Amino acid sequence: MHEPKSTHASYASESALANACPIEVSDLNLSYKNRHVLKDVCLQIPQGAVVGLVGANGAGKTSLIRCMLGLTLPQSGEARLLGEDSRNLSDHARARLGYVAQTPELIEWMKVAAYLDYIGAFYPVWHEQRVMQLLLDWDLSPTQKIAELSLGQKQKLALVQALGHAPDLLLLDEPVASLDPLMRRDFMRALFDDVPQRTVLISSHLLSDLERIITHLVLMKEGKILVFDEWDVLAESLQRVQLAKRLPDESGVLVQHIHPDGVTAVIDIRQFDPSRLPPEAQTAQMNLDALFVELLS
Amino acid sequence: MPLQYEINPSATVPIYRQIVDQVERLIAGGSLRAGDELPSVRAVAALHAVNPMTVSKAYSLLEAQGLVQRMRGQGMVVAERTPGNSTSQRMALLQPSLQAAAQHARQLEIPLAEALAAFRKELEGDK
Repeated sequence: MHEPKSTHASYASESALANACPIEVSDLNLSYKNRHVLKDVCLQIPQGAVVGLVGANGAGKTSLIRCMLGLTLPQSGEARLLGEDSRNLSDHARARLGYVAQTPELIEWMKVAAYLDYIGAFYPVWHEQRVMQLLLDWDLSPTQKIAELSLGQKQKLALVQALGHAPDLLLLDEPVASLDPLMRRDFMRALFDDVPQRTVLISSHLLSDLERIITHLVLMKEGKILVFDEWDVLAESLQRVQLAKRLPDESGVLVQHIHPDGVTAVIDIRQFDPSRLPPEAQTAQMNLDALFVELLS
Repeated sequence: MPLQYEINPSATVPIYRQIVDQVERLIAGGSLRAGDELPSVRAVAALHAVNPMTVSKAYSLLEAQGLVQRMRGQGMVVAERTPGNSTSQRMALLQPSLQAAAQHARQLEIPLAEALAAFRKELEGDK
């Protein structure tokens, strides 16, 4: 492994910190003209987490990922990846980082294998065999010109590119929207094939895919983080309640929708004891799809 | 025929809980016996395209309950059952279904005697 020369005393503790928290975002604010895109966003992602980043279109998901990577600079606040300031990532951090953008930026006139060789040369370690295996498994021809690939094939190529250096941290912005369900499963398997304890942040509208793999959920609404927690805990703690009258507005009551037949609320049973509900109330657990609808509609 | 779990990622029950529940039921029902091996974390994760950590979490919980043991060199193996408490253990597994049925019966305002009779009929009809 290529290691940077920095051997000063604090290196060990810095890398320990990086392992504890590969993504760290504090008080991010981002505006375009008079549109406030990110509002006081704070986030600490533990090592090994697979985080689903979920929200309606325009909620700020792509902006947040771009700020994490230092591709977009916020007006205030800070983003850190692998313990380093995103605006100034070292080669060492870059070598441990993989990213797939919503629209992959590839070099159109190159052929698939030549392009991957070219990209691989930028990394201290490039897993040639794994790359060739993924091309084979995912039906990509090494000799095809990138300009001739379909959108789905380009997405596959971008994923191969992001996995080629076996990164410890992967940021994926709607990476599989154009892929069929079988291919998406292959991709999810590939995430866990090579590196144990890899940290992944993945934004997607394919919620049933996310349910297979995520350990954590970030739910964004209008530039803010509405929910960040372990997914299993959320699935077991948040419940949809149908009742006749409003509940008191207190912590533990997340939303209440009033409609002609009564009220639909979402409660967090860690804070709101369901035994306090009126006897006619009907409670139900929710999957991610239901949670998305109840919390964001 | 090696054991395969039924996993429904879109169910409201988390995946780790689905695995724990299935192993508990298979052990309680006798389909899994002491010494039987559970499928490996890797195999389950690859088959269902789920996060291996989720499968690990389920196995660790089963281990903490004393239902399975981690064997060196092999994977997870069903533990010897401690005699005595097996009926109460199995009753505990039945409890969630009973609670759900009770809730439905109350919502439908079915009289107690009729609900109990229906449950008895269901049990005996299965024989």
